[in-house]
Amino acid sequence: MCFLCEQFGDQKYGDGLWYLNPTNYARNMYKLRAPGETAKGAEAGLETGVRSGPSIQDLLNAIENNDKEGFEKMRQTMQETGQGSMVVPLADADKVLELCSPIGLESCICRKADRARDERNEHEYTCMGMGVGMLKWERWPERYKGGVKFVNIEEAKEWNHEMDARGFVHILMLFGAPYIGGFCQCDYPDCGALRNGVDFGLQVLKSHYLAKVDYAQCNGCGICAQRCQWGALKFETTSGKANIDMFKCFGCGLCHTACPRQAISLVRRETVPAVAEVWL
Amino acid sequence: MSMPTKIPEFIWGRKYPKITIDLTKCTVPFLCKKCLQICPEAVLYVNRVITLEKKLEEMDPRIDGNYVMGAARRDKCTGCNLCIEVCPVNAIKIEIAPMERLRVQGKGEQWSK
Repeated sequence: MCFLCEQFGDQKYGDGLWYLNPTNYARNMYKLRAPGETAKGAEAGLETGVRSGPSIQDLLNAIENNDKEGFEKMRQTMQETGQGSMVVPLADADKVLELCSPIGLESCICRKADRARDERNEHEYTCMGMGVGMLKWERWPERYKGGVKFVNIEEAKEWNHEMDARGFVHILMLFGAPYIGGFCQCDYPDCGALRNGVDFGLQVLKSHYLAKVDYAQCNGCGICAQRCQWGALKFETTSGKANIDMFKCFGCGLCHTACPRQAISLVRRETVPAVAEVWL
Repeated sequence: MSMPTKIPEFIWGRKYPKITIDLTKCTVPFLCKKCLQICPEAVLYVNRVITLEKKLEEMDPRIDGNYVMGAARRDKCTGCNLCIEVCPVNAIKIEIAPMERLRVQGKGEQWSK
């Protein structure tokens, strides 16, 4: 069990997984800002241009200046106060979409910054916003260029499956746990969250699952090897089959959904003792 | 399993590449975006200029100075020069200190006497 499940999970729903607990999607999770109150969290940076905490730049500067203490301090702050996120496999993503409302498709802010992608219509959008926070999109015209396309649950699921087929990892974005603000569709290297996770071991929590190969079924076609964004799955030349490093596996399930012979299964993290409590 | 345990001793104090972008030359990065899309490591980023007056207003990428470029992930820059070659206005400058050759510190102890 991850620390979020301990705090926000309920055994009655979804095996105690915190993101399948319906109370976490209640209306009052979203705090309205009183008039005159200053912006907080994700909004603060956008409105005032002042950063809310240390960034990757500060970490790099600390490494350059040989400042080990400062580095550890900043890493702690980023871990505790930063906007966390959690990888979720496709099957669980479907269940999450059934719980939340409204759901809107929008442009991806990471791809906008890293690859200057200008997504202006629903056919180009690669990000999904969730929860009542979506209703204030009109206040942020620069962020939501081209508007927001609101979809129903079935459309959202279909869209999510499409993105999965294209090879994107589904990451739940938390704007202060357990409030879920979005469903990122990430790949390396142009997604900020996934990149922090792979390069720095920061902010991205691994999913509650791990991928396991059934060697009797695997015929070594290599389709899964193209889809791993974490550098965990590779084609093992010696045996001619897929090989998964469970220490690196984030449990996104992309290999699982792509396998034509169902040779890769997702198992719960608790069943593998050495990585049962490895969330970062 | 997080980062600090992975940082080997020789990384501390290393100098990462310094990437400077001449913003007087590079005025419409969001429209041009050649370097942003060619970088194999996605080192560069583009963002609109945030000012208190304009706050959340929509910005036109065609107007000079509405967007600025920077290097967010300079630790990943390899110095492959692809961005410099593709830049139409020669705005990017990369300084990379020559790497020190890695040597094992100390003489080491004998396994058995």
